[in-house]
Amino acid sequence: MSDTSRRKFLAAAGIGAAGTVGLTGASASAAPATRNTDSAREPVVAFVEHPYADRVHLMVGEREIVVHDKDLAARILNAAGGR
Amino acid sequence: MSSHREAPEISKDPVADGTDVYAFVSPNRPEYVTLIANFIPLQKPDGGPNFYEFGDDVLYEIHVNNRGDATRDVSFQFKFTTKVRNDKTFLYNTGQITTIGSPNWNRPQFYSLTRVDWKDDKKNKEVLLGKGLRVPPVNVGPRSTPDYAKLSAQAVQGVKQGIKVFCGQRADAFHVDLGSIFDLGALRPLNEAHLISMPNMNGVNSVQSYNVHTIALEIPIKQLTRDGSVPKNPLSKKAVIGVWATASRRKSRMFDKAKGKYIGHGPWEQVSRLANPLFNEVIVPMAEKDEWNARPPWNDKRYAKYVNKPELQGLLPVLYPGAFPNLAKYDKPRADLNAVLLTGIPKGVVPGFQNYTGAVEADMLRLNVAIPPTAKPNDLGLVAGDAAGWPNGRRVNDDVVTVALRAVAGLTLPLVDPSFKPDGAASAVADGTSNANPAVSDNFPFLGLPGGGYQTVPGTTTAK
Repeated sequence: MSDTSRRKFLAAAGIGAAGTVGLTGASASAAPATRNTDSAREPVVAFVEHPYADRVHLMVGEREIVVHDKDLAARILNAAGGR
Repeated sequence: MSSHREAPEISKDPVADGTDVYAFVSPNRPEYVTLIANFIPLQKPDGGPNFYEFGDDVLYEIHVNNRGDATRDVSFQFKFTTKVRNDKTFLYNTGQITTIGSPNWNRPQFYSLTRVDWKDDKKNKEVLLGKGLRVPPVNVGPRSTPDYAKLSAQAVQGVKQGIKVFCGQRADAFHVDLGSIFDLGALRPLNEAHLISMPNMNGVNSVQSYNVHTIALEIPIKQLTRDGSVPKNPLSKKAVIGVWATASRRKSRMFDKAKGKYIGHGPWEQVSRLANPLFNEVIVPMAEKDEWNARPPWNDKRYAKYVNKPELQGLLPVLYPGAFPNLAKYDKPRADLNAVLLTGIPKGVVPGFQNYTGAVEADMLRLNVAIPPTAKPNDLGLVAGDAAGWPNGRRVNDDVVTVALRAVAGLTLPLVDPSFKPDGAASAVADGTSNANPAVSDNFPFLGLPGGGYQTVPGTTTAK
């Protein structure tokens, strides 16, 4: 997953932008996410089915986008763990 | 039955629960095929104030395969939208509903109908056949819906491609003795012969007072065949189409507390499937029923073992000791049931007839469109010599419970295995119900008018 698409996901999911969940770890020093011109304009549901895999499922509109991104999966899992 | 509450998961989601599928050449328009899929089982007509309706959050589909591989070639997709006209009342209607567009109906429902053509199971073409199509209200009672037949007729609408469509409440046309069959496989007319013996009695039609929600299409045959023809030769491969219906929900649902309801996200995922009556109900083991509902028919080979050696075949000799000695001894795969349910009946089994779709084992309702409608139908269909009835498609009045029970009991086995002699009891097997449902219509959508809420009286259930 590129930085662009990772930022797009975080922005669309409201993570980081809302400021309610502090992400730590390797990506903490990444540039703040900004929305791309083609980022989602509707609600997005993110789903990590297997905590030991790198797969993140994104539900947007009537589509499902599956991204393989170990870093992204780790950040979501860390956030879900409250760290 | 035939697929009312047939699997654990879908029984908790009645709005998406398919109950019966019918496919037949229209008796009064033999150049057309009628396809019907019923949903929302066992509706008590007086179930207000929030009466039954299609789900705005469900995708309902009727699929047709015309190339024998059991994948989708044509799908008809129905999406519903419900409006609330008056947000200041709790009432379903604020006065008499005398026309389908009456402002007194507070909760009108509309739908779109889209035809999707597939190639190799991938979307190839999509045509919006109609939108803003109207669903009639339910049959509330003589004060609210005084002329229900009129409301129903107004809901029969024409759309593109010469297709007629109806979506709305109807009387269930299926008849079966649920209370008896699921009480340890009892058939009331054979009660005395049951392992736990009771006096013989007539069957009780468990669904005669209940309504369903119907999706019905009347389609020119040429719109469904693989080459756009209207086949006249019953032995031609292109004369056979496979039909099944599904309901799907969005993959993810999030509860929106502000709105007090769930909002769907992501793609549609199939949660209900139905073609032949009773397949998932009595063939597929309980532990696999939910998964079966989510799968496509082309991959049904995995369920062939349950067709070839059905559990019910083993139960009959146990539940009715001494009545089925020949069936008890039969240990070969049931090629007759495999043909009826999974491949279609090949040429040479029934003279002048076939509905074989090839070697792909798949539960589809197979209709040979070159078989003309029968002037005086026999409700026992093909096994009684009426080739226009189940398992050649399925007509509204076909007595599929009796046919299926007798087939499992071995009555159809000699068609493929002449060495087998059916037990005498096989031709007597029946649940003893008669078709006591509201009269069906001679015209599209053929199912009877739904029972009214006001007209409904309590049943007679007892704990003893």
